[in-house]
Amino acid sequence: MTAEEFKQFVKSNGIKKAAKQVDIVTTGTFGAMCSSGAYFNFGHAEPPIKMQKVWLDGIPAYGGLAAVDAYLGATELDESNNMLHGGAHVIENLVRGKAVRLRATAYGTDCYPRKEIDTYISLKTVNQAVLMNVRNCYQNYAVATNSSSKTLYTYMGKLLPEFGNATYSSAGEVSPLLNDPYYRTIGVGTRIFLGGAQGFVIWEGTQFNPGVPRTETGVPKRPAGSIAVIGDLKQMSSEFIRGLAFTKYGTSLGIGIGVPIPILDEELAKNCAVTNDQIVTAVFDYSQPSRARTVIREISYSELRSGEATIKGRQVPTSSLSSLYKARRIAESLKNQILKREFSVEKPVQSFSMDREFKTLDVRSEKEAM
Amino acid sequence: MKTKVVLNFRPEAANTPITNNLITKHHLLVNILRAEIDEIGGKMVLELQGKTDDIRKGLEYLKSSGVGVRPIKEGVRRDDDICTHCGMCISICPTRALALDAKTGKVTFTEEKCVACGVCIDACPPRAMEILL
Repeated sequence: MTAEEFKQFVKSNGIKKAAKQVDIVTTGTFGAMCSSGAYFNFGHAEPPIKMQKVWLDGIPAYGGLAAVDAYLGATELDESNNMLHGGAHVIENLVRGKAVRLRATAYGTDCYPRKEIDTYISLKTVNQAVLMNVRNCYQNYAVATNSSSKTLYTYMGKLLPEFGNATYSSAGEVSPLLNDPYYRTIGVGTRIFLGGAQGFVIWEGTQFNPGVPRTETGVPKRPAGSIAVIGDLKQMSSEFIRGLAFTKYGTSLGIGIGVPIPILDEELAKNCAVTNDQIVTAVFDYSQPSRARTVIREISYSELRSGEATIKGRQVPTSSLSSLYKARRIAESLKNQILKREFSVEKPVQSFSMDREFKTLDVRSEKEAM
Repeated sequence: MKTKVVLNFRPEAANTPITNNLITKHHLLVNILRAEIDEIGGKMVLELQGKTDDIRKGLEYLKSSGVGVRPIKEGVRRDDDICTHCGMCISICPTRALALDAKTGKVTFTEEKCVACGVCIDACPPRAMEILL
């Protein structure tokens, strides 16, 4: 059953019965997920080219891999920094079946004599088009607000002055990693719903930080775990892969991810029974230009979902950047695929390490870095 | 009755107290939703409230003063194919025209409540909101 159905079931029947009767709980989330992108193999040109610089619809892609492989990052912009059209939008257009202009230049070699190419590609023409994201599906995330006298444009959206609003970015109780807080069923090799297709978890996500403060039931109270994922872009749907533009910040990719959680025991049933009132996160003032912003207060997702939160004595309207509607659709779709045996639930081949530290970047000498 | 209009005026009309005249001479309640004035003229979006006859006379007065008047039915429009129902727009909408339907999880848009302030336009990540003036 879906995460929401499971929580209801536990309320009426208790943990023991739920652990016995329910096999799998499906979770879902749809939100802006930076640290995403896609790699392509375009096929070889005649005469062949070893692409050095690559552009897809004017957006630079990284070509320093081999002759005709390139990686396009979701947040990459063109040289004019047009924030309405970045790598994420090119990826969405490809998923929509559109053709995209490919330009590449090269220095030319004896084996790859060609020095430039200007052509069109689509998902039909390329050998591989693979979504590969190094950090998605954050387990909990901050709440952003703004105490300054100016509107702030951030990756957490538009923040109105004088605590005019607050935004948050987690699907809360339906979000995958909040239902399995210690990653017992989510690890390397876990099959997932990714952008409307089936994909896999390939590693811990970057900035994986399981050591944050947790609630009594183990739910992280700050951004903690995340996952690196992979999947075939050719199988994905624009319903769950969307280019997003954040004014004066840049672009990001809206991605739908769903993870099935097998209820192995009562402990996992307890984990999946968690509800928005038991999941808390921290409110930060984004006008504080620091990597270590002060926590204004801790707040539950039920308060955030109510549409208003008390921050510094004021009633502040709240907004989600994560679509509850799509998260539910993903959980439902995953449930149906499992019931129809179109989706097989895998045991991870390797668990994530719980010893990861969250390191900072400081200006240091060569010796200090050693 | 209530109506929303877009006014376009040349620089010379900017010196006439047109909104004041609408209030005092035509007994209308005037709510300025948007105003942009520069050296080549200006644009204003007003919500007018009053008796049907007073509104008609008020609009005639504006036209006779050389102000371009265009009614708007929809100031802001949402493209439902583009909206992902994330909800970013909800907390910045000053009139709560954008709200979350807790049952469906969808973001609802009540056009009658919208005052076409446009604050949602550049805040929408998938760019589903459009202002038509």
